[in-house]
Amino acid sequence: MATNYEKMIADLVTPLVVHPDDVAVKQLSDDGEMITMHIMVHEDDLGRVIGKNGRIANAIRTIAYASASREHKKITINIESF
Amino acid sequence: MKTVTFEAKTRDEAMKLATEALRVQPDYIALDIEEKKSMLGFKKSYDVRATVDVNLAELGLNTLQTLFDNMGVEATIDMKHPADDEITYTINTNENPVLIGKNGKTLDGIQYYIRNLLNVFTDHHVMVLCDIGGYKENRKRQLEILATKTAKEVARTKVEAKLDPMNAYERRIIHTKLAEWRDVETKSVGEKPDRAIVIRPKNAR
Repeated sequence: MATNYEKMIADLVTPLVVHPDDVAVKQLSDDGEMITMHIMVHEDDLGRVIGKNGRIANAIRTIAYASASREHKKITINIESF
Repeated sequence: MKTVTFEAKTRDEAMKLATEALRVQPDYIALDIEEKKSMLGFKKSYDVRATVDVNLAELGLNTLQTLFDNMGVEATIDMKHPADDEITYTINTNENPVLIGKNGKTLDGIQYYIRNLLNVFTDHHVMVLCDIGGYKENRKRQLEILATKTAKEVARTKVEAKLDPMNAYERRIIHTKLAEWRDVETKSVGEKPDRAIVIRPKNAR
């Protein structure tokens, strides 16, 4: 069963934010090896999701990376605000 | 939990102001609203007391469970909440090595994420610890053995020894383990991520 990365990442990001309706996670590409994800959040929430020195963003990346590695894939995540 | 009090003109405005002041989403806010009549009786306003209303330990548990469900990992999570400011999750899954990661990196990521999530809602810091498949417990035992062995060697040879770089939590285990030794002392040197412990003989100089 393939992992739904959009749901997985959205479920990680949404509880962190002040504006849960403004969270959008899109899978941009998956060529079988490399997945690119795009997270969009409200501009007031960008700091929450990225964290001090990007540490929350990196924690989310590390978790997603581990999950993708089970399917022998790599994942990159971009985070931006609306 | 965070609390604020303020005055609002409408109920809708009350929730909007509350989310802005508390920096928390509406689902996690409880409002206590009291109507205030002005002297003339036609300009209504409200006294509002907004409190963050969420069970932190449960939120962390549910978030972890959702994560593992999304990953398709079977997990059992044992939660302990021994004090108001301390929550621990002991996790066991059918894929522990993946979730622990190289040198515990993924486990650290999971713990850092959950700790930050839960501390969004409080104004006092809550300590959140996660362990998967007894990894940290085993690591602690290994580090204590390493500490004792190296310390004995240092005490015997009077030559200081530098250990591999470790994170703060791991360094602390070694500092604590050797704190009461009479013939060696420990010190952390270098900068993250290369900060490492040096064990050296006491009264060497």
